[in-house]
Amino acid sequence: MSVITEEPNRLTPIGAQNGELSSLNLGSNNGDTIEELTREVEALKKKLEEERAKFNDVALNVVAQKLEPITGFQLKARRSLKGHQGKVLAIDWCSDKRHIASSSQDGKLVIWDAFSTNKEHVVTMPTTWVMTCAYGPSGNFVTCGGLDNKITLYKLSTDEDISKQKRVIANHTNYISCNKFLYSDQQLITGSGDSTLKLWDVETGQLMQTFNGHQADVMCLDISPSEAGNIFLSGSSDHVALVWDIRSGQYVQIFDGHESDVNSVKFHPSGDAFATGSDDSTCRLFDLRADRQVGIYKKESILFACNSVDMSLSGRLLFAGYNDYCINVWDTLKSVRVSILYAHENRVTSIQVSPDGAALASASWDSNIKIWA
Amino acid sequence: MSNLATQRKLVEQLRREGAIERKKVSQVCKELISFCEAHQQNDVLVSGFTNQKENPFKEKAGCMII
Repeated sequence: MSVITEEPNRLTPIGAQNGELSSLNLGSNNGDTIEELTREVEALKKKLEEERAKFNDVALNVVAQKLEPITGFQLKARRSLKGHQGKVLAIDWCSDKRHIASSSQDGKLVIWDAFSTNKEHVVTMPTTWVMTCAYGPSGNFVTCGGLDNKITLYKLSTDEDISKQKRVIANHTNYISCNKFLYSDQQLITGSGDSTLKLWDVETGQLMQTFNGHQADVMCLDISPSEAGNIFLSGSSDHVALVWDIRSGQYVQIFDGHESDVNSVKFHPSGDAFATGSDDSTCRLFDLRADRQVGIYKKESILFACNSVDMSLSGRLLFAGYNDYCINVWDTLKSVRVSILYAHENRVTSIQVSPDGAALASASWDSNIKIWA
Repeated sequence: MSNLATQRKLVEQLRREGAIERKKVSQVCKELISFCEAHQQNDVLVSGFTNQKENPFKEKAGCMII
């Protein structure tokens, strides 16, 4: 194993076994070597695993056994929002429960009236692959970005060409995969292929905090339903989900288990747990207080990656959009599949329950958005 | 960040995480279930609309007689 470090003061290889530079001494911090640290990490992880196992006394689906199963579930595709010329990559509901923002590989940002299916605004971005878009909580602003490594803010107004009122408010050194407003129009969190997340002041475009910790591309983030906790979530190609302390900029909990990229993270409405969707074709439920995975949603017949998850108002249903064109509906508590929603003709990239919990929106590579209700 | 600094940060993090207070899975499951039961009444995606007319995305009837 060879070790590369950028530290300028590295000295004295002390563990030159088998003729290899297998450890390096920094000359500080009690002579920690990468080997010792790696060993310590392994030991700590093992201890942590044992500690968590002590608290794993029963499975969620066993506790939920006595619950009534969900019967009479029915959702129909009620609307089709058509107009994008390429894969739809992201959608976000407006707080008015009626409008939806979408962004696409075709380089367009579209604001839809989901009731009438009319397009209210169409903005052409300078680059294609607009991978993320977000509505400000007031409903007056929309942000988007992607392969341009930037987030552009648009002020929505009824009579003007909104592209005249744009402002770049965030940037990264690689593509931007996700962005969400933090409780108000004033602050925005972005996640990027540069493996960091950043907190921005929207008004000034000033960087407030950088969140370092993921070992690979950040794919997704979610904001806690409770403002008091000061935490948010992220998922990454490094297979883990992290819980971050907004104020300190440090991660406070690591959740592993997924065997591939974590494409989607979503808080349970209680704020105490969260769901994930992954390239390993499973969805999982992790609990913050138990500090571990408490549920897994998988089937032998489901072989394709899950791109996006969301939960119903009570947290009972888990919706998940997959690369096999399906949306699977899971009973979160009993860990069984309740239904399959099938209408898209290509990968489902993004799904989101409306703010009042009355409908589900889904976006797909088939260039359409559907509203299920 | 160098490999060494990353590993150091990870060790610190794991130590911190080792020290946090945990709840039993049985306990958190019960709480997830009670949250769900408390809100299921208002969760139309689970229980449906009591009247389809309340569904904002229900298609309008083909014609109306006044």
